[in-house]
Amino acid sequence: MTMEPIQTLNGDFGFTGNDRRFAFSRQASFQQPRTPISTDSTDLGLRKPFLSRTDSSIDIPPPGPHHHYWSGHDDKPSGSLERSNFSSFVLSVFRNIRSGHRYMKRLFFMISLNVAYSTVELLIGLFTGRVGLVSDAVHLTFGCGLLTFSLFVMGASRKKPDGDYTYGYKRLEVLSAFTNALFLLFMSFSLAVEALHAFIQDESEHKHYLNVSAVTNLFVNLIGVWFFRNYARINLAYRNAEDMNCHSVFLHVLTDSIRSAGLILASWLLSIGVENAEVLCLGLVSVAVFTLVLPLFRATGGILLQMAPPSIPTTAFSKCLRQISAREDILEVSQARFWELVPGHVVGSLSIQVKKGVDDRPILEFVHRLYHDFGVQDLTVQIDHAS
Amino acid sequence: MGAQSIQHTQIIEISGELPDTGRKICGEATCEFSDAGSISKNSVERSTSMRKLFIAVSLCVIFMAVEVVGGIKANSLAILTDAAHLLSDVAAFAISLFSIWAGGWEPNPRQSFGFFRIEILGALVSMQLIWLLAGILVYEAISRLIAGPQNVDGFLMFVVAAFGLVVNIIMALVLGHDHGHGHGHGHGHDHGHGHDHHGHSHGLSVSTSRDVKHTKDEHHHTHDDHTHHHDDEKHSKDEHHHTHEDHAHHHDHDHKDVTEPLLGESKAKSEKKRNINVHGAYLHVLGDSIQSVGVMIGGAIIWYKPEWKIVDLICTLIFSVIVLATTINMLRNILEVLMESTPREIDATQLQKGLLEMEDVVAVHELHIWAITVGKILLACHVKINPEADADIMLDKVIDYIKRVHNISHVTIQIER
Repeated sequence: MTMEPIQTLNGDFGFTGNDRRFAFSRQASFQQPRTPISTDSTDLGLRKPFLSRTDSSIDIPPPGPHHHYWSGHDDKPSGSLERSNFSSFVLSVFRNIRSGHRYMKRLFFMISLNVAYSTVELLIGLFTGRVGLVSDAVHLTFGCGLLTFSLFVMGASRKKPDGDYTYGYKRLEVLSAFTNALFLLFMSFSLAVEALHAFIQDESEHKHYLNVSAVTNLFVNLIGVWFFRNYARINLAYRNAEDMNCHSVFLHVLTDSIRSAGLILASWLLSIGVENAEVLCLGLVSVAVFTLVLPLFRATGGILLQMAPPSIPTTAFSKCLRQISAREDILEVSQARFWELVPGHVVGSLSIQVKKGVDDRPILEFVHRLYHDFGVQDLTVQIDHAS
Repeated sequence: MGAQSIQHTQIIEISGELPDTGRKICGEATCEFSDAGSISKNSVERSTSMRKLFIAVSLCVIFMAVEVVGGIKANSLAILTDAAHLLSDVAAFAISLFSIWAGGWEPNPRQSFGFFRIEILGALVSMQLIWLLAGILVYEAISRLIAGPQNVDGFLMFVVAAFGLVVNIIMALVLGHDHGHGHGHGHGHDHGHGHDHHGHSHGLSVSTSRDVKHTKDEHHHTHDDHTHHHDDEKHSKDEHHHTHEDHAHHHDHDHKDVTEPLLGESKAKSEKKRNINVHGAYLHVLGDSIQSVGVMIGGAIIWYKPEWKIVDLICTLIFSVIVLATTINMLRNILEVLMESTPREIDATQLQKGLLEMEDVVAVHELHIWAITVGKILLACHVKINPEADADIMLDKVIDYIKRVHNISHVTIQIER
């Protein structure tokens, strides 16, 4: 399985391969143009003077990978994610992971590590009767569950589009990133509550035996941080769907390690006699987690809200609209709506009113090409002839 | 500047529905989802939902205050825990309220579809809250079990849980109870459900399994006689058997059954589509009642036989699972909308078949049907026609067909030759 080539935008917007906001700023090989090259572009009087990297085709842009024809006999839902035999499901999971890209493998390894560690901690906690260990194990299991969901999504999002999900399954990655971000926000909130709790309570309740588990937790999470170090930014410029998911996983392990580090620090500070150390550390960690997660939360939320693609500035859109309405046979342009399916895949629709009797083919080509240069692959243009 | 020029070009255009065809040449970004008819329906429905949630929130806050005061006075952890639970209810209601209110914001160039999706995201967040709370409860039960024998007052558990249950039932009634008025079917109006319904017929807008293109029976029942009949396809995983002390629960669980609106048929349906956020808040309250019932049962058993402390854990586990099962349907709907999948009300194969059957239509591709929120559906496709045919007439025919038969009015059709 090959990774999808990463969609790039026109150089106009300064997104070159060396932009440090990208996840893979060192790897220039990902800068491939994804668009098709036209072979028989006849002249329309609109030939662009320079061949840009993103040549559009003459007719409607050839369908992208999600193009499909509906099959008439397809009455039942295909590709429903819920119904499969359990054992075949497990086998397919392993098959998927083995064939997956390296982040899947790394994530799988991390999850297994976490599961093993939390099981051990749970058993020890149950045998020795220490509630703190059990609670820590349960916290860890929550996090593991989320990471498993991310892993599952990494595999499931590769499915081809089908009758029910005409845009494919790539949105799942955005959803998983959103869920992760939400969970981390909840965690930051609960840490703040814990800090409050520690403030009210007596400090002699602090459980020093949790230090061992905190150190191990920190170690395990730092492994995760190392695995996903490519995503080590707060404000990442997302170029494709996997970026968001992997970034959320990175933030997850990072915040977990910050939390463990905070607990260790609090324990140490308490032992040297600093008062209210727990409150301070927990509060700090809570604020840190919140600020780390918020950009991801807003980015994923924006995509899920069908917001206009943040990578294309509004001025670009209005420039396009002006160019279209500047043509003499076009009367008005309306209902221009653009949204992102996943980062890098922009979908749009547009409505144009033209004078009566005008040939719509050149207009269609012009509009498609215009928007294609901005990275809008899927465009539907409705042309109304004025009566 | 750029944004303003967009606004400027769009304001020039005609807005509103042209009487001759279904084609709307409406310029503003707001026009699509706020033509004259629906904007009033939208705001009526929105204010109704907001009013309901507001009442629920105030009730909740009052009860929570009562419980906190009582808990501090009686120095009981159980009561304070229940008050914390009510606090989570308040949070969920606040999220739903915010989502409904924010859903009414005007679209802008950045958010060209308006803010309807916020409802869905808000519902997702409150479902996550339910899951989180269920997990926390299970964890608490486990830790209580491990912490060893405690002095658990079964009677107090019972009383507190009973009080919580009463509170939850009141709120469920506030949220769920609807006196049919006017055409305020909220999200249903796009499907031509412009029918009144009177009396207490309840249904749900969340839809059922996908392999349904055939007729379904309606599902309506009244509060008083609790008669209902189900479709065979309705029962997914929501089978639960739990003991009720309270008969009101019985009609509550019917609300998870679903009816699928018929495509294009305009039978007088007594079906009410509930706003998804109100429904989410309702699920929250329902989940709490179920949990309260579980605690009551556990408390009663422990009161009766104080040595069976593990009953607490078992009850919590069972009822948490039940609560989670109630959320699955809603989560599935939310997921489908967020994944831009074809909504269940639309039979896409039939739509495509119908389009292909029209004369002069050669092919249909890139057909995408998706919902911005439950009930507001958009369609975009490319239709390839005979080169000799008149594009304008074909466009009109296609749009008319889609609107008349499948009831989707927000379409963008690209006619190609």
